[in-house]
Amino acid sequence: MVMVQDKTDEIQQRMTILGELDIASFLPWIHRHAAKLGLGQTVAHADDARIELDLRGPEALIDMMEIGCLLGPIDVWVETIARAPCNAQFPNAKTTV
Amino acid sequence: MTDDTASAQAMTDEWYPVGLISQLDKTGRQTALMGEPIVVAHDADGQALVTGHNGRRLPVKLRYGHVWSSLGTPKKDIFAIPEADQPGRRFVDVGVVRVRCSPLRAVENFLDIAHFPFVHTDVLGAEPHTEVLNYTAEIRPDVDEVWATEVKFYQPQASKSASGGITTEYMYRVPAPTCSVLYKTCPPRPTEWDVITLFVQPLAEDLCDVWPWMALFDDETAMTDLIHFQQMIFLQDRSILENQVPRLLPLDPGMEIPTRADLTSIAYRRWLKRHNYTYGAQLVAR
Ligand SMILES: [Fe+2]
Repeated sequence: MVMVQDKTDEIQQRMTILGELDIASFLPWIHRHAAKLGLGQTVAHADDARIELDLRGPEALIDMMEIGCLLGPIDVWVETIARAPCNAQFPNAKTTV
Repeated sequence: MTDDTASAQAMTDEWYPVGLISQLDKTGRQTALMGEPIVVAHDADGQALVTGHNGRRLPVKLRYGHVWSSLGTPKKDIFAIPEADQPGRRFVDVGVVRVRCSPLRAVENFLDIAHFPFVHTDVLGAEPHTEVLNYTAEIRPDVDEVWATEVKFYQPQASKSASGGITTEYMYRVPAPTCSVLYKTCPPRPTEWDVITLFVQPLAEDLCDVWPWMALFDDETAMTDLIHFQQMIFLQDRSILENQVPRLLPLDPGMEIPTRADLTSIAYRRWLKRHNYTYGAQLVAR
């Protein structure tokens, strides 16, 4: 029996990141880290106190995204991260895994 | 957050272990603290004396079997370990293990349980029991320490006194940038925790002396066996630590993919970053 991972394993979540965020350095960092994990990503809002990030992919990988973002780059202090279901549109969503 | 002088000062003003009280002598131990050569000795009256560059007298405290000193002006006392005053415990000075790695890396490795089955095979862990169950890790604002709790792991031989495999529960605490205290299931006394500490003396940013110390409920095991067991564990860690790349502990996880099993390491590194504790750290991922 072969386990086939397909799009049905994927979920969409909105990640709300609060803290002292230097978005000039954090947004490119987020983009790279999400790309490394192969997650669909859309930034819905960003200022130096709050980022709303919509993610699509397997839950385990979204979880790794949260853990990575908790530390983030050196000039960013992340206070909290919350995750909730979302229905965002992903223009660049991956169609294959 | 990355001001160089502020960052250098933050760690300079902390207490560090620099030797064993039981090994103090008149001649003195020639060692180093954050790049500065120091001598740890006792004077004619038997008082512990730590001397830095050009003969300057450094602050001294004696606690938990060790001599502690600082290159700067510590604003706080050495962190408390209430179990050190608890009757019935045996206190074990394990001695020193020199490791060619960042002092922060040595602490991070101590906090990591995922390596048990692979590095301490058939002792602190064994295949196929390699899964790290979810646990809690946080920076506790009231005490300003890193705590990881509800850490559970199957161990074939959890301690020198353990006679078979048990699921061990751990709690980790980081009260100072290069010190960690581990609380571990105590087989002879289910209501108590064994205490195993890792006190790390930063010799340089990429070199440290590791001084483990224990406060155990164990009346059976010979002292030399307790010491040998713990030394064996740390020698297994040393070979891993000396091969880690990069040498310094990255405070930006950009080159790694940390997972939930690494939550204690993430909490530790967030706490280091928050306090400008960056001696032995790499600030930018590369
Ligand atoms: Fe280890």
